[in-house]
Amino acid sequence: MKKRNQLLKIPSRGRILISLVSLVLGFILAYSYSIAVENEAERNSTSESFLEQTKYREELIKQKERNKELTEEINESQQAIRELEQTFANSEESAEALVKEAEKLRLLMGDIPSQGKGISVSLEDGAYNPSQENPNDYIVHESHVFKVVNELKISGAEAISINGQRLRANSFIRCTGPVITIDGKTFPAPFTIEAVGDPEVLLASVHLGGGVLDQLTSDNIVVTVEEKGNITMPALRDEKS
Amino acid sequence: MWLPLLGLILGISLGLLTDIQIPEIYESYLSIAVLAALDTLFGGIRAQLQHVYDDKVFVSGFFFNIGLAAALAFLGVHLGVDLYLAAIFAFGVRLFQNIAVIRRMLLTKWSERKNA
Repeated sequence: MKKRNQLLKIPSRGRILISLVSLVLGFILAYSYSIAVENEAERNSTSESFLEQTKYREELIKQKERNKELTEEINESQQAIRELEQTFANSEESAEALVKEAEKLRLLMGDIPSQGKGISVSLEDGAYNPSQENPNDYIVHESHVFKVVNELKISGAEAISINGQRLRANSFIRCTGPVITIDGKTFPAPFTIEAVGDPEVLLASVHLGGGVLDQLTSDNIVVTVEEKGNITMPALRDEKS
Repeated sequence: MWLPLLGLILGISLGLLTDIQIPEIYESYLSIAVLAALDTLFGGIRAQLQHVYDDKVFVSGFFFNIGLAAALAFLGVHLGVDLYLAAIFAFGVRLFQNIAVIRRMLLTKWSERKNA
């Protein structure tokens, strides 16, 4: 009974104050402990993901270097084959035509660099015209690019590139919304189509009455045709980076 | 003895259950608060052993030290000076001194009892 009374008696002011102090102390200790634990966990996870990232990056760099080496090897081999063919052609007249054919086919495939005179055709969207409701009526479509490319190919262009992306025999051009995808890479307007070949022939074919130029102009496209003294196109390699 | 202990347990559970995130720059405040609290606690124990304990001094010292340390750290953050290091140094030195005094007094008591 006595003990019960002791428990129930109103604690002194000092006791209450000390209890308050120990409450605050416990809270601060526990709270800083939980924050420290959280921080530790966070640090561990970030350093782990960072290490992983570094590993993958190094791997990627290695692969790219290997890719580059292999590409150089291909170029060297190609050069060697060409030299062999040249010597072959020198020794045998009849094979010369075949070698020329092979050269042409290689240019078509974009396997070897192409250099020489040529022309460039640039297609730009027509000026914004508020009276026309449909913007499709004055922007460049992939069909327009097709027309120009086909015309240039027919006129004997050795190599053709669009905005610097060289075309080969099995290239594809696709309309993807406001841009055009060429071999998986997207390009926006304006499109500059460059072609290596006899500039006179190419110019004449583009300017033909009722030909490409007229058709494009009637589709409200701003076409600029230029003769180029020297166009260089590098060999095309599958580099998806 | 039961009320302070209850308070301590309640405080610890509250602290563990709280899930408030504080910005990283304010974490130094917390470490200072911990130091200040520990310092005052050991100061109180020393005072008790020296028979000069006064709960007004103890309680006011506890809260005032925590507040002062936090204010110092706050000022340091805004002035770009690591002022909280000063608080950590001061409290650290005092903590060691207090513990040393407590140890000596306990040792004296123990040897006295042994001799008796």
